[in-house]
Amino acid sequence: MKEQNLQTEIHLNQITFFLNGKQITEDVPAGISTLDWLHAKKQMFGTKCSCNEGDCGACTVVIAYPFEGIITYRAINSCLYPAAKLHGKHLITIEGLGTPENLHPIQQTLLKYHSLQCGYCTPGFVMSLFALLAMNSHPDQETILAALEGNLCRCGTYNSILKAAQELSAKFSPSEIVPEWCRNTEQDLYSFNETDTMFFTKTDIPQQVNCYLFPKTMKHLFDFYAEHPDANFIAGGTDIMVQKNIDRKVFPVLIDITNLPELNRLYLRQDGLHIGSAVTYQQLYESGIVKTDYPVLHKLLAQIASQQIRNLGTLGGNIANASPVGDTLPLLLVLDASLWLQSDLEIRQIPLNDFFVSYRKTALNKGEIIKEIIIPPVKSNSYIKFTKTSKSKSVDISSVITAVKIEYNEDIIINAALALGGVSALPMLSQKFTELLTGKKLSTINIDSVISEVEKEFEPLTDIRGTALYRKKLIQNHILLYFQELQKEEK
Amino acid sequence: MNSAVFHLSGPLHLCGKSHFIADEPPLQGQLYAKFLFSPVAHAQISNLDISAAEKIPGVIKIITADSIPGENQIGTVVKDEPLFPETEIMYVGQPIAMVLAENEYLAELAVKKIVLKYKELPAIFDPEEAYKEKQGYIQERIIARGDVETALKNAPFTLSGKTETSGQEHFYLESQRCLAVPMENSRIILHTATQSTMEVQEIASRILGIPVNDVIIEVPRLGGAFGGKERGATIWACMAALGAFLTQKPVLVKLTRDEDMHLTGKRHPFTSLWKVGFDEHGKILAYDILLLANGGAYTDLSIAILERAMFHSENAYYIPNIKIKGFACKTNLPPNTAFRGFGAPQGIFVIENILAKIAEQLKIDPLEIRLQNAYQNGDKTPYGQEISDCRLTDLFNILAEKTNYLALKQAVEVFNKNNTRFKRGIGIIPVKFGISFTTTLLNQGSALVWVYIDGSVSVSTGGVEMGQELSTKVAIVVAKVLGIPVHQIRVESSNSQRIGNASPTAASTGSDINGNAARIAAEKIKMALTECAVKLLKQKHQLNVSPEDIVFKEGKVFYKENPDACVNFEELVRFAHSERVPLAAYGYYKTPALWFDRDKGSGNPFHYFVWGVALAEVEMDTLLGEHKIIKLTVMHENGQTLNEEIDRGQIEGAIMQGIGWCTMEDLKWNEKGVYLSANPSTYKIPGIRNLPEELEIEMIPSATEEASVFGSKGIGEPPLIYGLSVFFALQAAAKEAKKDAELSFPATPESVLQCLDGLYPIG
Repeated sequence: MKEQNLQTEIHLNQITFFLNGKQITEDVPAGISTLDWLHAKKQMFGTKCSCNEGDCGACTVVIAYPFEGIITYRAINSCLYPAAKLHGKHLITIEGLGTPENLHPIQQTLLKYHSLQCGYCTPGFVMSLFALLAMNSHPDQETILAALEGNLCRCGTYNSILKAAQELSAKFSPSEIVPEWCRNTEQDLYSFNETDTMFFTKTDIPQQVNCYLFPKTMKHLFDFYAEHPDANFIAGGTDIMVQKNIDRKVFPVLIDITNLPELNRLYLRQDGLHIGSAVTYQQLYESGIVKTDYPVLHKLLAQIASQQIRNLGTLGGNIANASPVGDTLPLLLVLDASLWLQSDLEIRQIPLNDFFVSYRKTALNKGEIIKEIIIPPVKSNSYIKFTKTSKSKSVDISSVITAVKIEYNEDIIINAALALGGVSALPMLSQKFTELLTGKKLSTINIDSVISEVEKEFEPLTDIRGTALYRKKLIQNHILLYFQELQKEEK
Repeated sequence: MNSAVFHLSGPLHLCGKSHFIADEPPLQGQLYAKFLFSPVAHAQISNLDISAAEKIPGVIKIITADSIPGENQIGTVVKDEPLFPETEIMYVGQPIAMVLAENEYLAELAVKKIVLKYKELPAIFDPEEAYKEKQGYIQERIIARGDVETALKNAPFTLSGKTETSGQEHFYLESQRCLAVPMENSRIILHTATQSTMEVQEIASRILGIPVNDVIIEVPRLGGAFGGKERGATIWACMAALGAFLTQKPVLVKLTRDEDMHLTGKRHPFTSLWKVGFDEHGKILAYDILLLANGGAYTDLSIAILERAMFHSENAYYIPNIKIKGFACKTNLPPNTAFRGFGAPQGIFVIENILAKIAEQLKIDPLEIRLQNAYQNGDKTPYGQEISDCRLTDLFNILAEKTNYLALKQAVEVFNKNNTRFKRGIGIIPVKFGISFTTTLLNQGSALVWVYIDGSVSVSTGGVEMGQELSTKVAIVVAKVLGIPVHQIRVESSNSQRIGNASPTAASTGSDINGNAARIAAEKIKMALTECAVKLLKQKHQLNVSPEDIVFKEGKVFYKENPDACVNFEELVRFAHSERVPLAAYGYYKTPALWFDRDKGSGNPFHYFVWGVALAEVEMDTLLGEHKIIKLTVMHENGQTLNEEIDRGQIEGAIMQGIGWCTMEDLKWNEKGVYLSANPSTYKIPGIRNLPEELEIEMIPSATEEASVFGSKGIGEPPLIYGLSVFFALQAAAKEAKKDAELSFPATPESVLQCLDGLYPIG
């Protein structure tokens, strides 16, 4: 590695951020999770580790940072959040909130409703509620459930937690929830002295991650990649960190793309909505454009993972990961999404459908990243829906996920697309569906034959999320459901 | 009583300041343990080579069966389980060797360098196959009454079948762990996350070959247990003990979530084969059942779990002719173990499933058929215990009234008539749950109470705090006896130096046994203080009163007719100390009148029964297999509760675990005996969205002489059964869509679609 050349423009290991109201500058080992860092380096054990893979929420902490003109407070799984990402942010942990003698209103209310038993999940719930109530004045039931679905309590205290959350939502506004010491950091967070250089963290003893890089410009990014062709790109980290924590996978060099302004843009052009690959699910979910122009995407985003994961995970990551059960992929396929791929030499555009090559293999060349996802405008007079079937109502991976789009001209179907995830090695569009529907009137379509023809296209596998036969049945039923709805709409 | 008292550890939990084992800075020189786990379910070890692993710098010691100074045996009921297998591997995930290193990373590295060679042997995972081959730990057990064969022959109607329930992962949020620290004189202290201090202490001493008093057990609290740490903690505590003993350094054993899910024992899957005879009113005349518990590789608690399943296989119904056979099957899964309910839910599920079938066949209302068969006072259980305090019929009637049952039923009918995709169903389930360890000797407990010079109080019991708020309940009991505020009392950790020979905190007996022991200790102190109070009241207020007229209340002690002329508690304590009166007491309690003859299958195994009924209404999406729980209503007969809010929390939590077990927790293993759904992304436990839309729990107080401390009743396990009402509601809904739909367990979307489709078996 040509460290000499870079010494002048990088900060080695040291990052600066706020921890529970106090500014600190710390050495952080490359790739260490915020949770491990809290435990190992700070000996702060209030944040609990239970699953270490983002499924239980016991390790929930809140990060605060400027976003679109306000300081946002986000609950995240600290086990999935590389500590290096804390640079310039405010990390709020359970140790910051209240003391047993002087409980925060959230803690008081949870106590009042007996919303805790063994206590192991409790700090996580407190932090999730903190982020919820810091960002929302009087959130409704759905917002409360969305905020808490990522926290598991095996003692099963959900009913009393929900009651406490309802009272908190009714009684308190963000100004009463966010303590003074948090507000006092906000000015500093805005004016955080960002150098335009990048930093990286490095560890001497060989570890799973030896080097964690934070490019600030696209040039940095590609220069670094040229020097570290073994590097992996990391955005939200919700997948890479699981592989690191659980599979003990080694990532010698990680290049974090989330600080690049080019990848954080979300804008509307004539060709559609452009989504930077580092834009998080939650940013998308909150976006006014998405809400009004792509309501079905808005709805889908709410069904992805948990609040903590939505706050970190990105659409770009979901696509690059190319999982056959990636939540967003079928819908993006029927919406005719395309991608801008960027390397140090060029930017090229590729339809999403051509991006998935084989199982978890994509059209990304070495050294190429997804820059933007483009979703064309949705035509009026079209029917677009998705259906996700999984074992659990929330925070679960699909057995089968499908999406459909039907566009009409008068009552003639001029465009029909059905995409499916979980039924083959990659998310796929059904050719038969398009074939059998295009140019037809809804009333003349033989639904049974559409179902059986589409079903024949796919050979799903049996795994822990469902047998092949079950998945076949889901293909049938999803299609049936769409037709039932279409017929209802027509009436 | 005392509903205003909150969780004593609550403020600490809420601030992340409560102490859990191993969630603390490492000790100087602390070593980290990682294990080589068996990759196969059944094999003969041919070679175990640790030489390459030992050479890694930073690896301090590698421990195998050969390293054990004492006896390589952690079994209790049956001594059949080695700490490390010497020759024969019995399940996937069985620990074969333990690496101790300076950090976890090095320990993991070293594990990969250990070479295990083995010869695979045939493995059994199916209980029916094990039963056929007589693979068990002990002989088949039987409890019988009447003449089942003749009654079956003469019954107007008969049915027979096979019913299966699946296992369940405990998923305590705090994984299995133990920190062992060597002390002087070859002693050792184990900070262990166990429900059973006595068992860990005894077995660790056996492994180390030292007397029991050289092993000290310290349990601050557990981050959830649900039975999974009753026996499940022992092996890991012994590992840590052995490591610390051999290296003379602190050793931390802490499983990761995925390890914990892969290789620790779970709720027993059961397969039951049954025949039932009944009359045209749906009255059950004869019941013949064989319960097969999938026990896993070693005995563990399987015998007692099977026994409780047998004791509960008639649930809340009087069945004149009954034969309950049970066999705990030895298979090559990790040894299955205690899980809230301890076999009872598995036994109850079968009879409830049968009642649903009978009701369907005879077209009898599900509530009506349960009323038909419900126990009445004076009835005897199949094992001969008399039912004497049963208000089951009342409870059903209250439930019907509260839920407006007839109108509800009608509304569901109308809904189903008007909808094809969505179907609704109602499920009803009662519970009769026997409280006491069925192993009679476990029904004893101790407490140690100290009153300090300033009037503050320390209470130790053998009970382990794991979120059930045993500490809070014990404090309430002692506060009540001594007439002082709860917050003047500290309930201490469970420590073998303060309380020895403690029974597990299990079987819903925690507050009965430990609360009573604490009550007895506190009453001894109160008696001594009362004598002092007589003297002090005379000195101070010139009162001549007899001891029985002294009242202890709200921190004051006074003559009952004259509360104003009082002394305060602290003053009395100081006076007693100056009078050289003992301010500490040991309390011992054993549950009265328990006995059971295992050979005859009869006796009085339970101190009392807990009764209750539940109704669930669900809506099923017949296209997607999903459902929502519209309402769940519970009538729970609860004695005189020590704290209503704590009990409510236990009921709600148990219901959620019951719902999880029967609707979503899909425990699967492959043909090699490897758990497939062994991580939180494939094994889903209920989250906040799985709450019933409307959850109504009514606790019905009752005055029963049989109840325990201050008239309260055990609460931990019985309410789990209420969760099963959801399964039966789903089954009813499925039948609305397809008459002969047979919903399999658990009612996942796949199981629902499978039963509606009826075309293929679930893999």
